[in-house]
Amino acid sequence: MSDWQRVASAADVRDGEGLPVMLGDTPIALYRVDGRIVAIDDVCTHEFAVLSQGFVTDGIIECPLHAAQFEIASGRCLSGPATQDLRAYEVRLEGDDVYVALTSGARS
Amino acid sequence: MFLRNSWYVAAADQEIGRKPMRRVILGEPVVFYRLEDGTPVALEDRCAHRHLPLSMGRLVGDQLQCHYHGLRYDRSGVCVRVPGQDMIPPSARVKSYPVVERHHWLWIWMGDPALADPDRITDYHWLDDPAWGAKTEYLHVKANWQLIVDNLLDLTHLAFVHETTIGNSALVEHATVKVQRSHENVVVTRWIVDQPAPPTFVKVGGFTGNVDRWQIIDFTPPAFLRLDVGATPTGTGAPEGTRVSGISMRNLNAITPETESTSHYFWGQAHDFDIHNRATTEKVVEQIRTAFLEDVAVFEAQQVNLALVPDPPQTDINADTGVIQARRILDRLHQEEQAAAARRVAAE
Repeated sequence: MSDWQRVASAADVRDGEGLPVMLGDTPIALYRVDGRIVAIDDVCTHEFAVLSQGFVTDGIIECPLHAAQFEIASGRCLSGPATQDLRAYEVRLEGDDVYVALTSGARS
Repeated sequence: MFLRNSWYVAAADQEIGRKPMRRVILGEPVVFYRLEDGTPVALEDRCAHRHLPLSMGRLVGDQLQCHYHGLRYDRSGVCVRVPGQDMIPPSARVKSYPVVERHHWLWIWMGDPALADPDRITDYHWLDDPAWGAKTEYLHVKANWQLIVDNLLDLTHLAFVHETTIGNSALVEHATVKVQRSHENVVVTRWIVDQPAPPTFVKVGGFTGNVDRWQIIDFTPPAFLRLDVGATPTGTGAPEGTRVSGISMRNLNAITPETESTSHYFWGQAHDFDIHNRATTEKVVEQIRTAFLEDVAVFEAQQVNLALVPDPPQTDINADTGVIQARRILDRLHQEEQAAAARRVAAE
């Protein structure tokens, strides 16, 4: 069982860009991938950079500063300089409310 | 690092006349003058004989005569007269550069002349468009050209460097920023929606309520930064693309490297209000000039530190996104240019 936190309104999560929100003390970002809302860490695992200010292309987020790439749907690191994956979080939708699980874990 | 295959602004059009003028561009000495019919010419500013700058000489008709031993060169840089001898050595020639006059600036091509296509000159039409009031200026800066590019791509410095001039904390605190990039272009867009207009905007725009302000920075390599700034009354639709009842200005920058540690900073300011009033043009230019001198103090101090410790580690912050994307484009173009040059050498 997870604890859930309401983090955003689904209408604010747009195609092609990340929506930065706080999950407790952790900065995360919400994205829309194939119509589904997903949540991943919003700080790059390489150096401190806010990923949601980066560039979204074909389901991939590229860090705005040093160009590390991550798969949005899974948080998996695809190319350096980062080597660690981002944590991905479970997302639940209730009407227009987006809830994210307070503990991270495999989503699928 | 220089990109050679590009047009650069070499001078303001009125700087070039019948008196030869020297300017170092991308580390090369260049002499500029006009032929009797007004056509501008740019030649290597070093006599093929004993290296004196040809700019110390004088024009005899359309020929440039060296001050030292009187060798004369035609507009293509070929020596046509050696005093005291009839035969002219075939090696007696200097490099000539393609030049084009456009938008009150003289543009020079520093790379392979075969690639010098005037259609590739970056658009600065606001400087001579009758729908705008405009004026150009020049600053010599003792700093690397890329420091100036960085500065213009990250306007979060406005609240600090220009605290008492054009700075405004709303720019940082209430703005939404977006960085868009393409193969050879970076655009940083900042919107400040539904906030009071700054005093200078109220004065020229006559705003009575809150406004939507924009700052759109367009970077085109190697060092062209065209800023679109303005405001319209909130609710009239500027963020959605309709600009009515507002004011708009273009801050137009073209930086030309002089050496690795010095730069020619050409810039102009255009405004779409009170366009025929020279006093208005002078006022907006004066305001930007004051701010730019504050920037120059920053570049030159950075350059002093970078000369002491070359290539030091540095911390990046999120506001650097546009700067980093631009530097990445410049690095890629530089690698491509180096690779093409290496291929050419290998083929010869």
